[in-house]
Amino acid sequence: MTPLQVYFPLALVVIVSAILAFLLVGLTNLLGPRRPSAVKSGVFECGSDPVGDAHGGFGVKFYVVALLFIVFDIEAVFIYPWAVLLKELGWVGFADMALFAFTLVIGLIYVWKKGALDWE
Amino acid sequence: MNFPTQDFAALAPVGILSGGALILLLSEVFLASTRRGYQASLTVLFSILAAVAAAGGGSPGVIFNGQATVDAFSTFVTVIVCAGLALSALVGAGWLRARQAERGEFYALALFGASGMALLGSATDLLFAFISIEVMSISTYALAAYIRRGKKPAEAAFKYFILGSFSSALLLYGTALVYGAAGSTLFAEIGRAQGPLLVVGLGLVAVGLSFKVAAVPFHVWTPDVYEGAPTPVTAFMAAGVKTAAFAVLTRLALVAFQATPASAANSFAWVLAALALVSMLFGNWLALTQRSVKRMLAYSSIAHAGYLLVGVVAAAAAGAREAALSSILFYLASYTATVVGAFAVVAVLERRGRSLDEEPADAWDLERFAGLGRKRPGLAFAMAVFMVSLAGVPPTAGFIGKLLVFQAAISAHAYGLAVVGMLTSALGAYYYLRVVVYMYMRPAEDREIGLISPAIQVALALAVVAVIVLGVGPETVSKLARAAAAIGM
Repeated sequence: MTPLQVYFPLALVVIVSAILAFLLVGLTNLLGPRRPSAVKSGVFECGSDPVGDAHGGFGVKFYVVALLFIVFDIEAVFIYPWAVLLKELGWVGFADMALFAFTLVIGLIYVWKKGALDWE
Repeated sequence: MNFPTQDFAALAPVGILSGGALILLLSEVFLASTRRGYQASLTVLFSILAAVAAAGGGSPGVIFNGQATVDAFSTFVTVIVCAGLALSALVGAGWLRARQAERGEFYALALFGASGMALLGSATDLLFAFISIEVMSISTYALAAYIRRGKKPAEAAFKYFILGSFSSALLLYGTALVYGAAGSTLFAEIGRAQGPLLVVGLGLVAVGLSFKVAAVPFHVWTPDVYEGAPTPVTAFMAAGVKTAAFAVLTRLALVAFQATPASAANSFAWVLAALALVSMLFGNWLALTQRSVKRMLAYSSIAHAGYLLVGVVAAAAAGAREAALSSILFYLASYTATVVGAFAVVAVLERRGRSLDEEPADAWDLERFAGLGRKRPGLAFAMAVFMVSLAGVPPTAGFIGKLLVFQAAISAHAYGLAVVGMLTSALGAYYYLRVVVYMYMRPAEDREIGLISPAIQVALALAVVAVIVLGVGPETVSKLARAAAAIGM
């Protein structure tokens, strides 16, 4: 069995789901009745009237927050599987993760002192 | 499970570089002072420490279950990278101070980037290589955007980021396909697989790496990025990124194809040969018409990637492996010293706009070099040495580097590449020597003498000494390079 054959069931799932998706959307489009009205073709925003343009500018601060969020989110992604395997990994794993967390903490201290965490 | 002390000891240079980066980050925010001169000195200190740790410490061996190998080759690459970092940091100190833009982050990013480069020199696994490349690239993306005053630098930084990410994605996709074909990402295992999947995967990996070394036809980003990025950063990119990317390309070409059936190895060698050919031709040809010296150096770095690829092709052939490997290493060492020096002169002479936001169009025009021989004889002499070395004229490092590479190509029976290499070098002499002609034979257009900075002068002196010593007495370094050529498989 070559490595690729292992993934054959996965390919099957992808194909079946693709066909299913096309069928569902396609059949609805084909068979469904279509009677547009002004209310129906308006923008749907949870029942309230849409306000403003979606292409407006956002504060650059959100970008910094998003970036920091990703950094610490990724840290969590690494820590979960590590925690599951902690016993098997032993002190090596502990040292690795300590090094990783230490580096991130220094990064955190840096952004904190730099003022990236203050909103104003 | 034993504690892999040896694995961590082998990574001491990388640890020193990234530890230094962390220290600089913290000192930048905690020592709130306007005096930042210590930062460049600290960077130089850390790079010297890392080079010493690489050269003196640690027994060679395979680390992290074969994902990386610390051997004489990786040590040599680490030392080159550290030298490039130290020189660029000195250039950066002078250049940034003149613009009141000296910050710890600049040096921290450079140190982080250098740690990625040092890792890349020892990578023997595609995933390990990918992560090292990302460490290196993300730092250089940020460095390229370090000063975004005016339109061009912003464009350069953005272009570098987008195209660089794109090439990383191709590299990763290629890695996935190679894994599908071979069931492993270790270089040593790749060679045992075969089939179309492997060919496509390796093709994508080759494309990704060609982007990083700036080989034609994957070079389009180079002139714009090299021109738009801050000059010390350009020096660091030309020296460090190129060295590291060539190190991994060489190792991949050698280790992966040691065990392969000749056909697959041959087709890979043919691809590399084609890349070398077009890089030499187009790099030199496009550099001919450049008026901006900085842009000319960017095209010249494409041409030099071509010469280095000739070395890689020779190394992939069975006959001349050791000679070719040592020639690549020597060439990288000599190119690092030369190119950082050349960009240092460019940094000194760079014309600045009246306001900070303005970057004049002729900032690096040839006219800036007119009459330099009279205005600043020392600077002109240094630039002349670098140009002569880039052109490959004795008695400079560039000559010996080219000689060794072409010798290796001839003993690997790659006669065509060697001939094209020599002819294009002769072509290249025209645009390098044009700078020398401008410096010594044209009257000065104004009385501007450029930046005067002790740090840059130290860097220039070191680079000139390195270029001449490597050119006059290359035995010591070429002996080291030969020793490093016994690559750990």
